[in-house]
Amino acid sequence: MRLRRNREGDRSARETQILGWLFVAPAIVAVGTLILYPLVTGFKESIRSGGILFGEKPGYVGLRNYRDVLHDPTSQSAMRHTVEYVVLAVSLEIALGIAVAVTLHRVFRGRGFVLAVLILPWALPSVVSGVLWRRVFDPDTGLLNSVLLQLHVISQPHIWLAGGHSAILFITIVHVWGVLPLISLIFLAGLQSIPDEVYSASAVDGATPWKQFRHVTLPLLRPSIAIALTVGTLLAISIFDEIYVLNGTALNTRSILIQVYNTTFTEADFAHGTALAFLLAAVTAVFGALYALALRRSTV
Amino acid sequence: MITSPATRLVKAIAIVLIVFWSVGPIVLGITTSLSTQREVNAVPTHWVPSHPTAAAYQALLNGSTGQSTGGTVTQGGDFVHAMTNSAMIALGGAALTLIVATMAAYALGRLRFRLSGAVLALLVGTLIIPIFVIVIGLFQIMANAQLIDTKRGLILVFVATQSPLATWLLYTQVRELPHEPEEAALIDGCRRWQAFVRVVVPQMSSGIAAVAAIIVLSIWGEFLIPLLLTSTMNAKPVTVLITEYVGKYTTNYPILAAAGVMALIPPAILALVLNKRITGMLAGSS
Amino acid sequence: MSGTITLESVTKHFPGGVVAVNDLSLEVQPGEFLVLVGPSGCGKTTALRMVAGLEEVTSGLIRINDRVVTRLPPRDRDIAMVFQNYALYAHMTVRSNMAFGLKMARMPKPEIRRRVDEAAAMLGLGDLLNRKPRQLSGGQRQRVAMGRAIVREPAAFLMDEPLSNLDAKLRVEMRGEIIRVQRRIAAPTLYVTHDQTEAMTMGDRVAILRDGVLQQLGTPDDVYDRPVNAFVAGFIGSPSMNLVSATLEREGDGLAVAVAGARIPLPPDAASTWPGLAERTGNPVVVGMRPEDFGRPDGAALTVDVTRLESLGSELVAYLTPTGAADGQLLTARLDRGAGLVQGETAQVTVDPRRLYFFDAETGDAIDVRSAEG
Repeated sequence: MRLRRNREGDRSARETQILGWLFVAPAIVAVGTLILYPLVTGFKESIRSGGILFGEKPGYVGLRNYRDVLHDPTSQSAMRHTVEYVVLAVSLEIALGIAVAVTLHRVFRGRGFVLAVLILPWALPSVVSGVLWRRVFDPDTGLLNSVLLQLHVISQPHIWLAGGHSAILFITIVHVWGVLPLISLIFLAGLQSIPDEVYSASAVDGATPWKQFRHVTLPLLRPSIAIALTVGTLLAISIFDEIYVLNGTALNTRSILIQVYNTTFTEADFAHGTALAFLLAAVTAVFGALYALALRRSTV
Repeated sequence: MITSPATRLVKAIAIVLIVFWSVGPIVLGITTSLSTQREVNAVPTHWVPSHPTAAAYQALLNGSTGQSTGGTVTQGGDFVHAMTNSAMIALGGAALTLIVATMAAYALGRLRFRLSGAVLALLVGTLIIPIFVIVIGLFQIMANAQLIDTKRGLILVFVATQSPLATWLLYTQVRELPHEPEEAALIDGCRRWQAFVRVVVPQMSSGIAAVAAIIVLSIWGEFLIPLLLTSTMNAKPVTVLITEYVGKYTTNYPILAAAGVMALIPPAILALVLNKRITGMLAGSS
Repeated sequence: MSGTITLESVTKHFPGGVVAVNDLSLEVQPGEFLVLVGPSGCGKTTALRMVAGLEEVTSGLIRINDRVVTRLPPRDRDIAMVFQNYALYAHMTVRSNMAFGLKMARMPKPEIRRRVDEAAAMLGLGDLLNRKPRQLSGGQRQRVAMGRAIVREPAAFLMDEPLSNLDAKLRVEMRGEIIRVQRRIAAPTLYVTHDQTEAMTMGDRVAILRDGVLQQLGTPDDVYDRPVNAFVAGFIGSPSMNLVSATLEREGDGLAVAVAGARIPLPPDAASTWPGLAERTGNPVVVGMRPEDFGRPDGAALTVDVTRLESLGSELVAYLTPTGAADGQLLTARLDRGAGLVQGETAQVTVDPRRLYFFDAETGDAIDVRSAEG
């Protein structure tokens, strides 16, 4: 009797195992062949020498490419720019994201419409966003110059995308335009987890709306802020499309990925390009781990 | 709660700002696309076209030359071709991804087999990998399989890149589903996979719809991968074509704007129609 | 800290046509504990929230200490409130929770400390001051919520069903705590509950609401002995009063009532106790009999089937079906243990005719509230 029951149980458990692996197989195959395998190939490429094209002996050179990239001034400026992008983008996203979430938290007439419109910038291809915003930043026909000229803030049209910090700032604005909806939703979800009664209680306790925000909302939003920080950083650190459309590979706005693109495809230096890409991947991995940690803590 | 008039005013202003900020550039693109080049390049530039004209759209759609748009559009029908490419790749990619991801999510969330935790971690881990580290190797594999510059090739690549996210989103859904209906089906004599198809998948339908929308939007917006893996109009999506136009028609704003507007209409419609589901899924899984 | 809470003709319309509160007027006297009670949806919580400023008033006036506060936001009304789910600040310690309102009022730190310590001592929270809400039990959180309200020394106290999330035993304990604290603070208190036992045991006065309309405002004794309509009569008292259709008849010089298959002659002074009855002979009325008024030694007898008996240890609750009654309506009676009833058998149960209540069959209004000696 017992023996037979065990066999039944075994079979069911084994069936589940087999089915499980079967169902997961397509995903594993797809990811394995098209992501993991190229990852290995790419890594091999990054530790290889440039070969004859660069006047070098073909073969493996260990971490030399990585060291080259870290010391290369163009790469270094790309890294500096990327840090600027990240710091700017994340600060704007968190400040604006909380503001948007607080504004849209309570139900009001037309809220559905505003929420629908809110995610439009996120839904559009970032390349298209770049095209749309060009009209704002164009030196001759752009909205910004037009308005500023009319308000007499500037006397001549400014070439925004040629400057140093102003170029980075404006590209960041375009990037934030596309990412803000996602961040706002993260904060909106966080706000919804704060019970309404706490606001009533603080109102009775004498708090003005601003004080409610400072003493009740913000502290209770800390887990959401952690999530928004990591998501925003991950997205900003790999900024590419917006820069490419607005300013191409111009040196003053290069991010790390633009630099990788330039090295790998314009200069055909696969080895150094891939090395830089792996450096970025390492940094991204750290932030990814932070994200996982932040997620776990917020669901506790 | 009774709010002071000042608070209500601030909120109203904020709401208006949010709407303008979100829609402004799009509206700007629409008005620009309906203007003539002369109007746009005038100083000071015109914001609203005095005589809205669809010339830019015609030029893009027909590949015809139009004087008012100030230039020819390369090979006729390119733009439409690109839009079709994008649509086929996005829909095909999303459909395949959904199949792969739903099965995987079910296996990881319900079946809980040995090592399922590791597999999940592996899949989610790939989300962090930036595209660039895999492009070289990817190119080689695709070239060997003769899938460069094909829609099929792109679809397969996107299935690989989108499956991790889709699986994760669906996995969180699966875990929240009540397991009684599936158990009832098993007791009634269904085999596991039959229960999956007849019971679990219908249960997940609203989640699947939301994830489908998100994936379609993601693939439609993909730029870098098609940039590197396509060369002719065979498979070139509209995102790549637009950047070529930016290089080619740098000052021909009406054309650029018209291209941009047409490229954003499908994702905009999708986002507006499935708005509630999408925001629900994005907010919930964060 | 003495003062009043006044509602003058306060009405609340919700969009969609629902009238949650209809022309409510009442005044809480200095130091008084007034309970707003009624079934769910009767408007009591809406009324409380309007006094707090958490809900807009459609029409009417609200005064606190004679100061008109109707359109003021909550923070300007000098009130304190205890919420049903306590609404504690989860990220702050007990001490910070209690100090929050004082911090908002920019009170000097030593004064804040003094008040918090005093309130904590009064409520037995001294050891818990540095804990966070999630480390506290339900009863402890309740007391922190009360402490937060007490330290403000407000002009008025509001409480929204603070005991409904506690288990039965704790509830009884906290009832006494709340009263004790309120007596010391002596601020006028408006307390909302759906539990009529809480209302009767805690209130100096009780206001019964139904569908947004005030039914009766009076002391617990008032609403128990002299309910102004059948709703109040049925709501107050547990188990509820039996409300039975009956007919009034002439009996010689006096009156009798045909009810529950029996004919109960009314005492000779009926005419003076219930002046309005005389003109209603031959007409249907609703008769009220409280379960606790059964089994009196010299009452009129009813023949009943003992349908079910529940023993509560100290007494019996009997569910009785009058044998002569046409509609099979069950009567509830509270009887002594030794009443000698057996389930399933027929028996005689007495009811005191002097303790009957009479209500109009159509409007439900009481036909002449009995005089106090009745």
